[in-house]
Amino acid sequence: MTPVAEPLLRLSGIRVVFGSFTAVDGVDLSVAENELRFLIGPNGAGKTTLIDVVTGRVRPSGGRVLFGGRDITGLREHAIVRAGIGRTFQTATVFEQLTVADNVDLAACYRMGPLRLLRRRRGLSDTVAAVLERVGLLALADRPAGVLSHGQRQWLEIGMLLAQSPRLLLLDEPVAGMSAGERERTGELLVEIAADHTVVVVEHDMDFLRRYARDVTVLHEGRVLTEGTVAQVQADERVQEVYLGRNVDVAAPLAVGAEGE
Amino acid sequence: MTSTSASSLSPAAAPARSRAGRLAGPAVFVGVLAVALGVLPAVLEPFRLNLVAQYLCFAIVGLGIAVAWGRGGMLVLGQGVFFGLGGYAMGMYLTLERVSSDPLSGGVPDFMSWSGISELPLLWRPFAHPAVAIATAVLLPGLVAALLGWAVFRQRVRGAYFAILNQALAAAFVILLINQQHLTGGTNGLTRFPTLFGASLYSADTKRWVYVAVVLVAALVYLAFRQVVRSRYGALLVAVRDGEDRVRFLGYDPTWVKTLAYTLSAMAAGVGGALFVVVMGIIAPSSLGIVPSLMMVLAVAIGGRFSLAGAALGAVLMNAAETAFSESFAGGWTYLQGALFVLVIVFAPRGLAGIAESAAGWWRSRRQPQGSSQ
Ligand SMILES: Nc1ncnc2c1ncn2[C@@H]1O[C@H](COP(=O)(O)OP(=O)(O)OP(=O)(O)O)[C@@H](O)[C@H]1O
Ligand SMILES: [Mg+2]
Repeated sequence: MTPVAEPLLRLSGIRVVFGSFTAVDGVDLSVAENELRFLIGPNGAGKTTLIDVVTGRVRPSGGRVLFGGRDITGLREHAIVRAGIGRTFQTATVFEQLTVADNVDLAACYRMGPLRLLRRRRGLSDTVAAVLERVGLLALADRPAGVLSHGQRQWLEIGMLLAQSPRLLLLDEPVAGMSAGERERTGELLVEIAADHTVVVVEHDMDFLRRYARDVTVLHEGRVLTEGTVAQVQADERVQEVYLGRNVDVAAPLAVGAEGE
Repeated sequence: MTSTSASSLSPAAAPARSRAGRLAGPAVFVGVLAVALGVLPAVLEPFRLNLVAQYLCFAIVGLGIAVAWGRGGMLVLGQGVFFGLGGYAMGMYLTLERVSSDPLSGGVPDFMSWSGISELPLLWRPFAHPAVAIATAVLLPGLVAALLGWAVFRQRVRGAYFAILNQALAAAFVILLINQQHLTGGTNGLTRFPTLFGASLYSADTKRWVYVAVVLVAALVYLAFRQVVRSRYGALLVAVRDGEDRVRFLGYDPTWVKTLAYTLSAMAAGVGGALFVVVMGIIAPSSLGIVPSLMMVLAVAIGGRFSLAGAALGAVLMNAAETAFSESFAGGWTYLQGALFVLVIVFAPRGLAGIAESAAGWWRSRRQPQGSSQ
């Protein structure tokens, strides 16, 4: 990896303790501007918890989060979004009672003050229309988000993220539970997004990883096991052991058993 | 599972409607307003007209509850407090109007003289000005709600805790009013208002004007809140209701979103209370406590908390029913109200408005096949 002057995101010594259980145990992680970074690891490795730390959902019991050189550790969730970090959730959460357009529109308008928010939305703003187009939901703009399929919800959530044009996107298992066709589309979307954004993707799916990943960080039991390119990581014996189980051929497509939540 | 069944039909989720559908709402609104202003004053005797005005005061409170509870998910079980603040502010003005025109009063209300107070307390003095009284009736409830809301929503107090907090507030408010008898008139409250702005409140003419004013204020509050719930903020409020924690990750602080809705609902309650004093000629702790506060929410639940019109209608119907029942057999009403509430919760969680919407939807879907040539 080429060393970069100042990474966009730098985690140092992050520790998260739930009661007596240490979910994240001293993680250092740097993500450079415009990087597409995959974060993998077996169930319970602490991937989601790490994203929770960066986005303010979980307060670390130790360590610091620097974003663009600024210490954002312990900021409140909305303040972190305003600083430029957006995320999706492992189980996509959208506002089912609102229309698809309203979901994206609200995401897009997060910098508006209360007075401007008290005005009505007339039609679709250019941003919202462009985002809906990009995630393929334009035709469903006026439908309640509650009617969307699982895959469409994931796209809507990604769309909501794009509407905010964050500097850093954190996607938590964007293809979990998707059909093969939906994975394909999501992959293409990911490549598009990664072209002009910094993205961190948590993903279990080995196939997906091989197709779209460049750099990979492997987490295991709350620690960084190794970092490198897909090939390097796949060749790493420790990864094969902890992540894939003993004697599993890494090159073989991994049957998705890891996704059951 | 009520949330999923509500989702497909809730107004916020309704897909784009036809032009006729869009115009139906405003047409009904104008129609109701025309009947309220043109027909009712002509056909109802002053006593009945006054009753309608009273129901409308609760309809205004109901509109606020529909915003805070229906849209914002905040179970505001202490609206009696804000209703009372508005009512007492206006009642103080009316009391002082009587006192100032009564040479024998000695410049203070009689309950004060009984407590040995011969000079008007500082707290009361500004209320000699009607503008101050009216402004206070609207703004003070808003201010109290804003401060309280900010404090509790910041701490992420919600759900049952918030509801109980509001109930406790209502209970405390009543105790305060009763204990400060020398300032508030105690259990009797403030009453006996012969005039409003110099016009006799006993004359049929004044009563009619008061009624017209109440109708207009109710219509204004309705229109204002309609704008609120249809704005982006209205969508944001629903989002906060359904996923407060998710909204944070969109970059919004739910604290102010909830505080604003709570504040608006408190202001509506204050307005309702201020008008109520003028209409009924009395404001007393017995109409502000835990039970009256519950009843205000109950009426909205029955009318339909997700719909402004439903909430207002629920308040009117429930109060009208109460009048009708207490005229015939007094005690039965409370039980009937309880039974109605249970029925609504079980069978029609979206209230009368929900039933009406389902019926309309069914009607449209029945007509659709024939009307497809259009
Ligand atoms: N709020 C919590 N309280 C207690 N333990 C928690 C909490 N959140 C997560 N954990 C535990 O921390 C560990 C890491 O969880 P995390 O969700 O980060 O794993 P993950 O790597 O995202 O796994 P998965 O692939 O299953 O999503 C797990 O053992 C989990 O049970
Ligand atoms: Mg996870």
